[in-house]
Amino acid sequence: MKLIKIMKPPDRWKLPVIVVAGILVGISAYLFHISRATSYLSDKPETCINCHVMVPQYYTWSHSSHREVAHCNDCHVPHDNFFSHYYFKAKDGLRHATIFTLRNEPHSIFIKEEGENAVHNNCIRCHTELIESGTLVTTNPEMYNNRTERKCWECHKDVPHGKIRSLSSTPFALTPLPGSPVPEWLRKAKQRDN
Amino acid sequence: MKPISVLVKEKPWLGWLIFFATIIVVFMLGLLASSVIERRGEAVFAYKPQIEHSQFEPRNEVWGKNFPQQYERYLQTADTTFASKHGGNAFIDMLEDDPRLVVLWAGYSFSMEYNQGRGHYYAITDIHNILRVGSPINGEPSPQPNTCWTCKSPDVPRLMEEIGVAEFYKGSWDTKGHEIVNPIGCADCHDAKDMSLRISRPALIEAFERQGRDISKATHQEMRSLVCAQCHVEYYFKGDGNYLTFPWDDGFSVEEMEKYYDNIQFSDWEHAISKAPMLKAQHPDYELFLSGIHSERGLSCADCHMPFISEGGQKFSDHKVQSPLNYINRTCQVCHREEEEQLIENVYERQDKVKESRDMLEIILVKAHVEAGKAWELGATDEEMKDILWDIRNAQWRWDYVAASHGGSFHSPIECSRILASGINLGMEARVQLSRVLANYGFEGDVEYPDISTKAQAQQYIGLDMDKLNADKKVFMETVVPEWLKKAKEREATYTYKTL
Repeated sequence: MKLIKIMKPPDRWKLPVIVVAGILVGISAYLFHISRATSYLSDKPETCINCHVMVPQYYTWSHSSHREVAHCNDCHVPHDNFFSHYYFKAKDGLRHATIFTLRNEPHSIFIKEEGENAVHNNCIRCHTELIESGTLVTTNPEMYNNRTERKCWECHKDVPHGKIRSLSSTPFALTPLPGSPVPEWLRKAKQRDN
Repeated sequence: MKPISVLVKEKPWLGWLIFFATIIVVFMLGLLASSVIERRGEAVFAYKPQIEHSQFEPRNEVWGKNFPQQYERYLQTADTTFASKHGGNAFIDMLEDDPRLVVLWAGYSFSMEYNQGRGHYYAITDIHNILRVGSPINGEPSPQPNTCWTCKSPDVPRLMEEIGVAEFYKGSWDTKGHEIVNPIGCADCHDAKDMSLRISRPALIEAFERQGRDISKATHQEMRSLVCAQCHVEYYFKGDGNYLTFPWDDGFSVEEMEKYYDNIQFSDWEHAISKAPMLKAQHPDYELFLSGIHSERGLSCADCHMPFISEGGQKFSDHKVQSPLNYINRTCQVCHREEEEQLIENVYERQDKVKESRDMLEIILVKAHVEAGKAWELGATDEEMKDILWDIRNAQWRWDYVAASHGGSFHSPIECSRILASGINLGMEARVQLSRVLANYGFEGDVEYPDISTKAQAQQYIGLDMDKLNADKKVFMETVVPEWLKKAKEREATYTYKTL
C-alpha cells in the first residue's frame, strides 16, 4: 500500500499514466503469449524448435535411435542436481533467445565447452555400464584415459545428429514447428473480408 | 520517501521524465514483440512443403514435389542395368532360362510367360505386357480378375476408398484398366500427413486380425518390413469375389500354409498333364525372410533394400529399392567387415546350393507329371491316382515356395533347403507309387522324358499356341492400352492439390 502511495502520480497525470501502464502490461502479456514462454518450463523437444533454426537438430534426433529414449534436455542440460539443472537451462535459454532475437545465429551451430561437458556427463549417466564394464577396463588399457580425457563423440561422430549439421542440412524436414500465431477465428474473419 | 505526486508537484520535469522513460520501455518491448512475431512468422514458412495433397493422391510426381530427393531415387527403379548371378533388375525370361517351368505350370497361365521382375517403376507397364493377363480385345474379358491390380499401383487404395474393397476385386482385369495407371509409389507405403509408414492394403491388416494381432501396434522397425509385406507374400484369391487373402491363419511356415489350403480344399488349377490339383506359390518373400537369420537379428527389408544414402551432405533412405548386391558398401558392409568380393561370394554360395536342390526337385516333378500323364493314358483310375496326385501337388508347392520367393535362398537358406528336401521326398514318393501303377497296367521301363530344351519346345509340348497369344497381345497393346491411358489422363486432369 505504501508503494502504491509513493507511485501514485499527480492527479493531472493519472489518465496518461493509466494508459501507458496498460500498454506496458498488455505488450508484456502479448510477448509472454507469442514467445510461448510457458513451454520453456517443460522438457518437450518441441519446445526447442520454437526457434526454427533448431529444426536440423530436432529432425536428425527424431530419426535417430536416441529418439525412443532421450529428449533434448536429457543430454543437453546437467542432471546432477536441481539447481544446476535449472540454472544451466535458464542461462542457455537466455543466451539462445538473445542470439535468435539479434539474428546472430551461425549457419552451422557448434556446441560450447560448457555444453560439451553437460552432454558428455549425460552420455556417462546412461551408459555407465558400457564404459565401466570390468571386461573393457581390464582388456583395454587405454579405457580409463579414453573415458576421462576424451569425449564420446570423438569416435561416435554421428550420434545422434549425424555428421553434417547446418541450417540447410535437412531441407525437407517435417517437424511440429509452431504454426501461425494468428488464431483460427481471426484468420477466418480476415478471409471473409477479402 | 515522498510520494511521486508530491515530487512531481515540486519538480514537474520529473513527471515528464518518468512519462518518456515508460514510453521508451514500451517502445523497446514493442520492438522485441515484433522481432518474436517475425521469427515465428518465419517458422510458418520454413520447411513448409510445396503442396498439400490428399492421402489418395495416386500420382507419384505430385508427392515428389515435396520430397524431390526421395522421388528422384524412386525414379531410378527404372534402371535395368544390374544383373547378379541369379537376380537383379535386368530383364530375364525365366521360361527361356529354364524351360522345365513350362511343363510344371502346364494348364496354368504362368506357362505362357514368366520373367524376372523389374523395378517398381515398371509395375504397370509389365502387367500390361505380360501374357498371363490375356489380351482383352474385341470385348473379350481378361481371364484374370481385378485382384491382379492390387499390388501394382497407388491408384488401388484410391479406388478402394471410392468404391469399397470387395467391389474393387470384382470383375475381370480389363474392367479397371483405365483406373489403374500409376506404378507402385508413394501412397502405397506413406501417410500423406507426416510421411510415416502406412499399410494401404486391407489383405495384410485382415491377415493380422485373423491371427489375433493388431497391425496398428507394430513398431517402426516392423513397419519397415510390413509395408513390403503388403505384396511380397504368399496369397490367394478367395471365393467368387476373388477376395485377396493371405493364408496365414495357422502360421507362416510352408506346412502351416499348406494345411490352410488343404482345410479349404483349395487349388489354383488342375495340371494339364498329370491332372493334379495344384497350388501356385506366389512370392513368400516376407515369410521366408522371417525364418532367416537377418530377421532373427532384428533387421527389416528397408535396412538392406533401402539403406541410407547421402547426397550433398543430406542423408536420407534410398528409395531406389533394389538388390543389396549392387551396393555392398551400404548394405552388408555396414555390419560385416569383409571384402566386397568375399561377401558376394558368400551370397552366391548359398544361392547356388539351394538352386542345386531346387533343380533336383524340378526334374523329379517334370518326370512325375509326365509319368502321371502316361498312367492316365493307360487307364489308371481316380482311386489309384488320388494319393499320388496329392503328393505331386505338395511337392511342387514346396518347389514353388522356394523358386517363387525372391531372394529366399539368401534370406533363409536353411529353411529353403529343408523345404526342398521334404519336396524331393514327396516327389520321389509319388514316382515310386507311379511306377507301381504303371507296372499294374503292364508298362515297363522309363516313361520318355520330353524334349524341352528350349522354351518354344516346352510350350509346344504342352500345346500352347504362342503365335496367337503374342499376336493378340500386340493388338491389345496398340489399341486398348492407349485408350486406358487416355481416359486416365482425362480423369486425373480433374484432380487438384493445394499449393502452399
